[in-house]
Amino acid sequence: MKRNILIILFCFYSFLTHSQQNENGVSGGFESNAQWYLNDKGLKDEFNNTTTQPEDPVRSNNYLFVNYLYKKWSFGIQGESYTQNALLNMNQKYNETNVATYFARYQTDKIDITAGYYYEQFGSGLLLRAWEDRALGINNALRGVRLIYKPAEFITMKYIYGQQRTGFDVANSKIYGIDFEIDLKKPLNLNISDLTIGWNYIGRYENLDLPVQSFDDLTNAFSGRINFSHNAFYINTEVSYKLDDAVVQSSDQVNNRLVKPGNALLMNTGYSKKGFGIDATFRRLENMSFFSERGAKGNNFNDRLMNYIPSLTKQQHYNLANIYVYQAQPGVFIDGDGDEEKVRAGEIGGQLDLFYDVKKGTLLGGKNGIKIAVNLSNWNALSGTFYILSPQDYQTDFLRFGKRYYTDVNIEVTKKWNSKWLSAFSYVNQYYNKNSIGIEPGIVYTDILAAEATYKFMSNKSIRVVGEHMWASDKKKNWASATVECNLNSKYSFYAIDLYNYGNEKEYQRNHYYNFGGSYRNKSTRIALSYGRQRGGLVCVGGVCRNVPESSGISLSLNTSF
Amino acid sequence: MKNFLFGLLLVGFNLNAQTNLPNIQLSNLEGKKVSSIADFSEKDQLYVFSFWATWCTPCISELDEINDLMSEWKKEVDFKLIAISIDDSRTQKRVKPLINGKGWGFDILLDTNQDFKRALGIVNVPYLIVVKNNKIVHIQNGYVPGNELDLLEKLKILK
Repeated sequence: MKRNILIILFCFYSFLTHSQQNENGVSGGFESNAQWYLNDKGLKDEFNNTTTQPEDPVRSNNYLFVNYLYKKWSFGIQGESYTQNALLNMNQKYNETNVATYFARYQTDKIDITAGYYYEQFGSGLLLRAWEDRALGINNALRGVRLIYKPAEFITMKYIYGQQRTGFDVANSKIYGIDFEIDLKKPLNLNISDLTIGWNYIGRYENLDLPVQSFDDLTNAFSGRINFSHNAFYINTEVSYKLDDAVVQSSDQVNNRLVKPGNALLMNTGYSKKGFGIDATFRRLENMSFFSERGAKGNNFNDRLMNYIPSLTKQQHYNLANIYVYQAQPGVFIDGDGDEEKVRAGEIGGQLDLFYDVKKGTLLGGKNGIKIAVNLSNWNALSGTFYILSPQDYQTDFLRFGKRYYTDVNIEVTKKWNSKWLSAFSYVNQYYNKNSIGIEPGIVYTDILAAEATYKFMSNKSIRVVGEHMWASDKKKNWASATVECNLNSKYSFYAIDLYNYGNEKEYQRNHYYNFGGSYRNKSTRIALSYGRQRGGLVCVGGVCRNVPESSGISLSLNTSF
Repeated sequence: MKNFLFGLLLVGFNLNAQTNLPNIQLSNLEGKKVSSIADFSEKDQLYVFSFWATWCTPCISELDEINDLMSEWKKEVDFKLIAISIDDSRTQKRVKPLINGKGWGFDILLDTNQDFKRALGIVNVPYLIVVKNNKIVHIQNGYVPGNELDLLEKLKILK
């Protein structure tokens, strides 16, 4: 069966490839990530167990996407193959080789209709975002129909209907949506850079058949937004409101105990001109978990996730700054597992970014200038009154901060010395309340220093060296890390990385997480091979995370587009 | 079996050295909608689309480097650089202050839900395509220092 599907897919693909005409075209991509998990006696967990290979030690996630354009039509199909099994800690629903998504689309200047699977986002995604992130195993495309209609150049209307993808199937619910966006600058003849307003509705219909049910099968949610910018200044606001619905506190436990509405407020403002930029964001979330099936809340794979609530913190690129990462806390957990510290109903906080370019030729800037980036973020629980015992309930205060979840203060200074030398220096300070966000007891304080230098020689060769150190108050204590990267020419690169948890309280757990690898690139193709250890923990992309277990082995990845 | 299919795949994409650009709607930093086809269709003009994100260090190194060299390059070959940000709504707000902080002198477009990236089968950024007459004539997947010189050579051939 698997083989037949693959063959059909490839025949379809090669047919399209060969029938290509001048005005039409075939494009697409192929990606494969394979891992051979090995036993590793040297890599020990908290309980002094060595790392052993899982069942099906050779695993791979493969994706083939083919897109065919014909005049105003486009057709696409994506096949996915998880053989012998999906990579560790991916959604178990990814367990076969099959057609995963397909669509047909017709596009003119005024009308854009898609039937089949489509990706979509309304506003900043507080109520709806259907997207794909293969590294996280997220593909929550909607299967149904989408119509985008532009009655005038400054008006965009979107109508959607569909069921959300989950594994190779769709969720047991129906999603309806409408989004309007109006660019007011033109019709009102305003002398500003931008003034856009938008409004959207999302309905989720999930029939539960509970014997007694104190909430509707259909959950309604609304959102409004406004974007304003003039020259160097801009301000954007989005407000969302989700009407009464059952509050799910643990996976698959949908009941009448607590029925509450949810809301979100997002504000962003900034000012920027050449050489200087400042940006500030404020966000408050209350009971804003939103899944296409209510019981999906709390699943570990971001499965059936409908909205996009990323953590608004800096996406760090240094290894050690990615150990204690914050995940946004939109949900309600009044049950608290008997621990008052874990009781929560959302989050409130903000982020501030500053960019400054010290000009060339100044005393501090020197010949080539200095680039400085500062980032601060702080997130707290909502303050309020929580009634833990029946009847369960809560009331939150609008703008008061509850217990602190997370703080991150960091600065990055980049200096280009001349055409050969580039260096960067970074300092990060974090506060991470593991207990309140339900991971494990404890609060972690960290200080991280990182320094890196890149040296270029003979036009296309370069070497990059990074050193990092983290002082942490957690039981794992201090870490050190080193990275060396060599680019031999425009095609071949090699690297070696080691993260060393030398300060761990448990001597047997003072692990080295080393990794050696190389990559080859040519035009649209990249092939990479590596050997080493994977640190267990959260792997995050765009503020959304996936938990991965510790492992050891060889990995091969290939991607190409055509 | 796998090898056979993989071979087929290789044959497939070698036949497609010049792929048509898909028609995708992007927006600029002022919220104005821009079409990947209609707004970049000047005859024989070379357009360099560089896909990047605020959180991607090699992307920023590449754009910094090209920005420094651009005025010099333009004496030799005429091209337009457009940096396509694939930042999603988490990091998109950082685009404007970041590029102004950097002082980059080229156009920036936003591919918020990554429609353009997906249509081109791009897995990771940095990723760069050269477009001429709405056809993709060159692709560079990834960036290491020195790649910008390969790009300049390629642009000279393609002009």
